[in-house]
Amino acid sequence: MSVFLAILQVVIVTLVAPLISGATRLIRAKMHSRKGSDVFQDYRDIAKLMTRQEVRSNTSSFVARVMPVLYFAVMVVLACGIPMITIASPVPLLGDIITVIYLLALSRFFFSLAAVDTSSAYAGRGGLRELIVGVLVEPTMLLALFAAALVAGSTNMGAMGLAVATGAVSAPVATFLAAVAFALACYVELGKVPFDMAEAEQELQEGPLAEYSGPSLALLKLSMSMKQVIVVSWFLAIFFPFGAAATLNFGTFLLGIVAWCLKVAVAFAVCAVVENSVMRTRYKLLGTQTWAIFGVSVLSFAFLIVGV
Amino acid sequence: MIISLFAASVVLSLLAGTLSIMLRARDAVAKGVGCWMGAAAAALSLVAGFAAMVGEGARASMPFLFPFAAFTVQLNPLEGVLVCVISVLALVAFVYGLSYFDEYPGKVGRACMFMNYFVASMLLVITADNAFWFLVFFELMSLTSYFLVTLEENPSSIKGGLTYLVMAHIGFVMIMMSFLVMSVKAGSFEFSAFRTLDLSPALASVCFVLAFFGFGAKAGIIPLHSWLPQAHPEAPSNVSALMSGGMIKIGVFGIVKVGVDLLGASGAQLWWGLLVLVVGAVSSVLGVVFALAEHDVKRLLAYHSVENIGIILLGVGVCLIGSAMGNLVLAGLGLVAALYHTVNHAMFKGELFLGAGALLYSVKTRNMELMGGLVRRMPWTAGCFLIGALAISAIPPLNGFASEWLTYQSLFEAAFLGGRVPMVFAVLAAVALAITGSLAVTCFVKAYGVSFSGAPRSQAAAEAREVPLPMVVSQVLLAAICVALGLGAPLFVPVMAHVASFTMGAPAIVAADGAAIQNAISGTAVSTPLIAVLLAVGALVAVVAVRCFAKGLAPKTEDPWACGYGSETSMEPVATSFASDVSMFLSPLYRLREVCTAACWGVAHFFQKATGLARWMEPQLDRYLVDDVAHGVDVLGGLAQRIMSGRMGAYVAYIVVAFVVFLVLAVIL
Repeated sequence: MSVFLAILQVVIVTLVAPLISGATRLIRAKMHSRKGSDVFQDYRDIAKLMTRQEVRSNTSSFVARVMPVLYFAVMVVLACGIPMITIASPVPLLGDIITVIYLLALSRFFFSLAAVDTSSAYAGRGGLRELIVGVLVEPTMLLALFAAALVAGSTNMGAMGLAVATGAVSAPVATFLAAVAFALACYVELGKVPFDMAEAEQELQEGPLAEYSGPSLALLKLSMSMKQVIVVSWFLAIFFPFGAAATLNFGTFLLGIVAWCLKVAVAFAVCAVVENSVMRTRYKLLGTQTWAIFGVSVLSFAFLIVGV
Repeated sequence: MIISLFAASVVLSLLAGTLSIMLRARDAVAKGVGCWMGAAAAALSLVAGFAAMVGEGARASMPFLFPFAAFTVQLNPLEGVLVCVISVLALVAFVYGLSYFDEYPGKVGRACMFMNYFVASMLLVITADNAFWFLVFFELMSLTSYFLVTLEENPSSIKGGLTYLVMAHIGFVMIMMSFLVMSVKAGSFEFSAFRTLDLSPALASVCFVLAFFGFGAKAGIIPLHSWLPQAHPEAPSNVSALMSGGMIKIGVFGIVKVGVDLLGASGAQLWWGLLVLVVGAVSSVLGVVFALAEHDVKRLLAYHSVENIGIILLGVGVCLIGSAMGNLVLAGLGLVAALYHTVNHAMFKGELFLGAGALLYSVKTRNMELMGGLVRRMPWTAGCFLIGALAISAIPPLNGFASEWLTYQSLFEAAFLGGRVPMVFAVLAAVALAITGSLAVTCFVKAYGVSFSGAPRSQAAAEAREVPLPMVVSQVLLAAICVALGLGAPLFVPVMAHVASFTMGAPAIVAADGAAIQNAISGTAVSTPLIAVLLAVGALVAVVAVRCFAKGLAPKTEDPWACGYGSETSMEPVATSFASDVSMFLSPLYRLREVCTAACWGVAHFFQKATGLARWMEPQLDRYLVDDVAHGVDVLGGLAQRIMSGRMGAYVAYIVVAFVVFLVLAVIL
């Protein structure tokens, strides 16, 4: 059963991801007072890229060729492990928060290394910035998650989600602040304004893609949309598991799917509104923002020590 | 059986060393004898170590040379782990040396001798179960490695060697004091007598802190790390692998041995664990921060050793916290994490140093800025280096991830079970580990990317050739071990759990469940083989999908895009690009280094002042006692100078005159 659930999650995430990035684009266009393309544009983009010829940098090596495939594979593993429809992880052996953080590090390692591998100045810059963002965000993520895990007594996402869902948290204020800090850290990880500008290529998130084209680029675009869905689901699984199935039967299963779709849709709508209402921060000032987020997670930990 | 195998290995090492120095006149012969016999000895000790690691321990004792200290050897599981680590590294280092020592014409005999003696003394330090012999072999280990560091005899290696020697002896003195306190109390130099000691908490703390900083100096913990980035890069690369992968682990081993084993009966104090956690956290973060600023690939790796020692100490800290709390399962979890990271770090750091040696061999520089594009010239080295880089960055499913996951779990349980004070320390240590992890990713994207990716940035890099077969084989071997220890973690972690429970006399720790490693307390688990399988499946799906949808047009290659300008190699991201960005965000930490270095200089300066004072004190007596006499001699000398003209004829004349005078005197008297 859990194997079926894991496969289903992978399929859903793969199929839904372009829809969500398409919807985000549409919201952005509307908020910019543009007409914009419809929500299915990203499917068409991916299909078109698949049929195009691939152009590679002449100094690139196997790392750049392997990266899109590996990036997709990491997203598949993450989609198996992160609870979406149920509270418990479909594959508990992949459901530990430390495992998720380090699987994301695997994708980041190759993403950035491939950028350096192409020896393009722009891609390299983007790859480097991706790494720096990781350095600035990862400690916050870990501290917030550790605070929540200490409340729940386990670092397994299923156990943490269950504690929140049943209200069995000994320190509600600390959990709430951990949720805020983790949400902010996830937002940075999503690579949206004010931390990144997705339309401006050669920037943080899309910069490393400068040397990609054809099927590789299609695969990467798909995988990066998947990553957005996965990161949001990660947050929801731990801090907002409401609606997810505690015990699995047909009714709770359907409810779980509907609840997950709704939660993800709302989360991305909120993200889109925030993204289009703020200005982009200067890269050099990124540190001050991430310090503020880190401060929130420290505050959460302080409340945890006090026990409220 | 285990002991005799071990003894055979040590004897063979000594024989190999002695023969290779005797055959030093012919480099090729000395190299063959030294390396092959050394490798054979390492294979023997590997078998002995492995048997000890999974077994129930063995010991032997005999009176030897000194009546007050019997020569006692113990090979319990804990010693077995270290013997295995050193043996594997020694084995590949000797195989590697078969080609690498060609870089040291005229010095091969010496290098082989010191390397064999170095390996033997490391093995003996680990197994010695007598404080006196432990110290003797510890000193031998420092001396033999000193001669390996200074093998090149250039100013930087002599300077690095001297720093190393001074630091090694500062550590040695502290360890000696700790052992002397225990031996006075126990009335014997035997460790078995130490183990039954019931010291007062204050005295036990003195012993532990002295031993912690003493062994810490050997391990390279942060305030005492300055020798590592100076000494390791100067040694031949296979010796660097042996030092960085093996020797500094003896520091960790010593800390565990004193804290858990020797002082076991006195009981650990909670603040020992907290101290170890703080030192570990600081070492891990600062180690990687300093590594990021390096352009010299071997210095970069040396700083990463500081980082990884810090990570190992986090596990040791949890172990001490657990034993202080009387929670042996928690202590066991910490010790398992520390031991597994010790093994893993030895393997991937050994691999990376061998890779750095291959770069040095082919490109003749350690400066990464002058490399680039080497993946096409040296594919084997590049592949192995990439595996090592992934492993050290704790990327799943490799071995570094398995042990760091265990470290996180042990920190989590220490925080969960330990009450408020351990919670604050353990959580901050976990945050430090997270910072370390993300910085390590950055650092190794830099190290691999700048050296192997992109276009060559120097003539030497453009013409580099893959290294000879023995060097390739040894790199591949260590890279394969890294993969095996990662994917096979569910098999190897229970062995570490056996070692931990044996060492602490604790009940068995359930560290694995089927194909997963698990946190014995909360039950949360991770399966590295499953991650590997799913990654492979995901990759396969992606490849098949691309094959199905793509039209199969042949890819074409172009210059990298440069906004319409011609692309040049000078546009590539280089080591400085990484360093400047990181230093922009982490500038306070780099300022801290300046403060630390200044403090180090302060210590050195203190010693200078002390010697200065001694130098000033010394002549005070002389002024009154000796100076008048000396002055008188001076005056006489001045007079004598008048008749010392320096001409041969004059001296002959003096001799003749003196002869005549004596003759006359003899006749008269």
